[in-house]
Amino acid sequence: MSDKVERPEPDATDSPASRGGLDRRAFLEGASATAAIALGGIGLSARAAAAAGTGPGSNTVGAHTKDSPIAWYGGPDSDIPKVGLRWAFSATVFFADRIMISSPTPRGYTSVGGGEIWGPRLQGRVLPASGADYYKGSFSTYYMFQATDGALIFIHNRGTMRRFQGHPEPGKAPVPASNPPEPGTPVWTRFRATPVFTAPAGPHDWMNRTVFVANAQRQDHPDHTVFTYYEVI
Amino acid sequence: MREFVVPKTDTKTLGEVRLAYAFQLRARFDPPHLSDTPKGEFRYQDITSGDVRGERLEAAVYADSGGQYDTVRADRVRDVDAHFILKAKNGEWIYVEHVGYRRTDGYYRAIAYIDADAKGAYDWLNNTTFVVTAKESADEREVVFYYYAAN
Repeated sequence: MSDKVERPEPDATDSPASRGGLDRRAFLEGASATAAIALGGIGLSARAAAAAGTGPGSNTVGAHTKDSPIAWYGGPDSDIPKVGLRWAFSATVFFADRIMISSPTPRGYTSVGGGEIWGPRLQGRVLPASGADYYKGSFSTYYMFQATDGALIFIHNRGTMRRFQGHPEPGKAPVPASNPPEPGTPVWTRFRATPVFTAPAGPHDWMNRTVFVANAQRQDHPDHTVFTYYEVI
Repeated sequence: MREFVVPKTDTKTLGEVRLAYAFQLRARFDPPHLSDTPKGEFRYQDITSGDVRGERLEAAVYADSGGQYDTVRADRVRDVDAHFILKAKNGEWIYVEHVGYRRTDGYYRAIAYIDADAKGAYDWLNNTTFVVTAKESADEREVVFYYYAAN
């Protein structure tokens, strides 16, 4: 027993328009570009995209490029080990079916239509119709990447989402937004994904021993999410 | 395999992740119980004690509430899988799960997923992704985990 439904946790900041019930055919027919939506980290975007030779206005997706810079983070005491983040690659993932199963803890099903992978350390595509998100309290997504060399890479991606009253200032904790958010008040949605990859031996083997964290941004028209994957250094 | 035409979009920009240091957990474990399995060398280590120090979280490890269930793979990388329960200073219960890698080059990183009482003092832990770096003692009996919130 299942019904077509909205996504379990709609994102108030980047879904201004209603979500339609897109089916797989819609992808085959192609879709129009979405309206321009400002994303967080535009400054970083421009810099990192320039460093990698990818991003908007670039036709070099798929080219092997240099590693992007590492951003280091530390604690209040010098004995706390620092952690670095480095942009590894991005994935634009287009979704197809959105279904909810009314099990005791509701189970969502959001199928992956396809998509593309771009950035300094991995290029390729999302293998069409290769899996889905099986939401249950949090996101848990299983599908396949196909790198430009043909390698099939399995991604199990867990994700969490939470809304806050605006982006946190450095050194300050973000303040959770009311649920549902008050209409007209600013809301910052933190949507983070943490993938575990299974890659074949060879040039992509580093993915089997690297921890990643991603910024995820939901977008409409058509229904897709842009994941920015950082390797944890 | 299915066909898919990637629609044109103008959303091909980078989203940011900023880390904010949150707290550290010093944990003590029993020596590892090792067993050969088809997946590699499985290591079970019972968690016996520990404490959490941080501006927004003070807690103690609940003894024997879990431990490390790691597997050393054929390439010598250890798949980290640690679960246990904390008891916060105010008495609230907190669940912690770690998934990551410990490599022979010293790289020991994980993602932590934490569940706390949504109506309690530590609701901020819920739906927060933590990036963890860890240090293991030479005798493998003590691990200090350092947690950064991925904002």
